[in-house]
This record gives sequence, C-alpha cells and structure tokens, in this order.
Amino acid sequence: MTDLSLSSLGAKVVLATSSDENHPAENIIDRNTKTYWMTTGMFPQEFIIRFSEPTQIATVTLDSYNVKHMKIEKNTSQSATQFEFVTEKEFESTEGHLQSNAISLNGCSATHLRFIITSGYDHFVSVHNVSMKN
Amino acid sequence: MVKLRARCLLLGDAAVGKSALSHIFYSDGTLFQKNYSMTTGVELLMKCVNIPETTDSVELYIIDTAGKETFVEACKKMWGEPSLLCLVFDLTSEQSFANCSRWMERVQPHCRGLHVPGVLVGNKSDLSARREVQASVASEWAQSQGLDYHETSAKELENCDAVLLSLARAFHSLYQERREAVQNLSPG
Ligand SMILES: Nc1nc2c(ncn2[C@@H]2O[C@H](COP(=O)(O)OP(=O)(O)OP(=O)(O)O)[C@@H](O)[C@H]2O)c(=O)[nH]1
Ligand SMILES: [Mg+2]
Repeated sequence: MTDLSLSSLGAKVVLATSSDENHPAENIIDRNTKTYWMTTGMFPQEFIIRFSEPTQIATVTLDSYNVKHMKIEKNTSQSATQFEFVTEKEFESTEGHLQSNAISLNGCSATHLRFIITSGYDHFVSVHNVSMKN
Repeated sequence: MVKLRARCLLLGDAAVGKSALSHIFYSDGTLFQKNYSMTTGVELLMKCVNIPETTDSVELYIIDTAGKETFVEACKKMWGEPSLLCLVFDLTSEQSFANCSRWMERVQPHCRGLHVPGVLVGNKSDLSARREVQASVASEWAQSQGLDYHETSAKELENCDAVLLSLARAFHSLYQERREAVQNLSPG
C-alpha cells in the first residue's frame, strides 16, 4: 500500500455542511493536523471529497476530535449524487488528543467519497486530516 | 464569520406560554394570541439571531412541544438531541415552577451526557397582582441548574428579545470554548 497524494489526484472538498471561515473544509486535505474543519452545531454533518478521476482506495485514515460515529459512502459518477454505502465505524472518545482511525474501503473505486458524521461526543466536532492509501 | 445551528427545545407545563413566546420570537414581536390553543404535537420554528459586536450568528431551530401530560410521551420522540433548553413556567402558578425540575429530569436522557446550556423563563410578568413565584427563588433554582433566568411577558412583549439573545449567546460561547480547546490539542 502506498500513500495517495490527494493534491496530485486533484482531490477537493466539494461540500461541507458547516462553515467557520477561520476553519474551512479545505483544511481536511491539507496534510496538516494543526488545521481543521469544525462543525457548527447539530448532527448529522458531512463533507464530500471529489477526485478528478475514479480512484482506488484501500484505506482512509481520519484524524479528528469528538467524532462518535462515521459513515462513508461513495459513487463513481461525475456529480455528487446517488451515493452507495461503503462502511461505518464507531470512534472511541479521546480526551486532550486527536482520534486517529484507519478505515478499510476494500480497494473500492470512487470519484466521490462522502463522510457523514452521524453523532459526536460533544456539540461540535473537528476533522483535522484525511489521508488515503491504495 | 461563523453561522452556528442549535436545536432549541421549549419545555414546560401546559398553558405557561411556550407557543405564545415562540410566535413572538418568530414574528419579531407582532403576534400575540390571546386565545389558548393547546399544542398537541410538535411545532418547529427557525429564528436567526446575530451576536452583537461580531459577524457571527446562531440559527435557532426552536421546537415547541406539548406541555399537557397526555401528549408528552408521544412528543418525546420528536425532542431529538437538543443543543439548547428553554424551560418556561408561569409566574402566576407555583405548580408550574415546581414542575420545572421534573422537566429537567425528563430531558436528561435526550442530552447524551452532554452539557446543554439554556434559560429558565418566568412568563406572564404582566399579571403582577397574581404573581406566585418570587424572582429571587426562581433565579436561585435556575443557577443551580446552570440556566440563565429571565422574566417575560409575551402579552406585553416584555423582555422576549433578551431570552433569544441569551440562548444564542450561550451556544456561541460554548462554541468558542470548544474551538479554543481544539486549538490546544496534541496530535493523536
Ligand atoms: N397575560 C398573559 N397571558 C399569556 C402570556 N403568555 C401567554 N399567555 C396566554 O396563556 C395561554 C396559554 O399560552 P400558550 O402559549 O398556548 O401556552 P403553551 O405553553 O404553549 O401551552 P401548551 O401548548 O398546552 O403546552 C394563552 O391564552 C395565552 O394567550 C403572557 O405573557 N401574559
Ligand atoms: Mg403550546
């Protein structure tokens, strides 16, 4: 397995349900865990990453804080609609340091990945980095 | 600039004025209904509140639910997971104040162990001759529950804005606190 370079794959965050202009969703894929996207109240919350072409993904690793349950969906179409379920995971609570969770996507191919945070350990959660391996 | 979103649950006994208050929040103080029309289900209203001296705002999704015992069980399913509480009693009814602790207990299982900020509202302050609950007593109890205390008259449009602002501010400061905490996290 090798690390995928999200920037050279043309990956972009094309949708995020919360916005704090000081903590934009682009922070999710900037390879820096010091910068983050923060949700601004209520659940579910989601963000969608688009690749410029279908990309095979073995695992995705999420660095986050206070996320309780994450659901991942994908599609292989050009538009961010009609997603199919891939997997879901309950994250453990960590106090004072980031959660880091590797999730297997079984080498599925996707042009969009949709990350749905269905619940949190607090009113607000943050996502610091998403990285992928193929 | 940040836009926060909060699910605000209106709770309290029947006829204390929850619907009257929520209509005033929604209409910026133009709609007071004199005739009592009991809420039997759940009504949702959205109100956006700006936080003074910032460019931030809070969208309050206000859930007005039935206070009447017969409907409470059925409504609970629609309470959801609140971000804010607005607990209302009638200043002319000692009983409605006494029942507030019961409402707090009832909502606890819906809070998932989280601290849910909010306000206690003593409504119908216009009926001063019939007052049964003293401000000092109500305010002390509110404090013990971590709630801010306000007295309002939905009828005279007294102080209703203060309640909205207090709710929005409570959620806004919680956000700032949490954001600060995230800033100081160490890597996983
Ligand atoms: N004098 C006076 N009457 C009020 C005030 N607020 C509400 N009322 C009256 O009290 C009655 C009940 O008000 P509602 O807002 O329907 O009460 P509620 O809490 O929604 O009651 P439920 O829906 O049964 O839970 C109505 O007749 C209102 O006109 C107030 O500030 N002063
Ligand atoms: Mg009502």
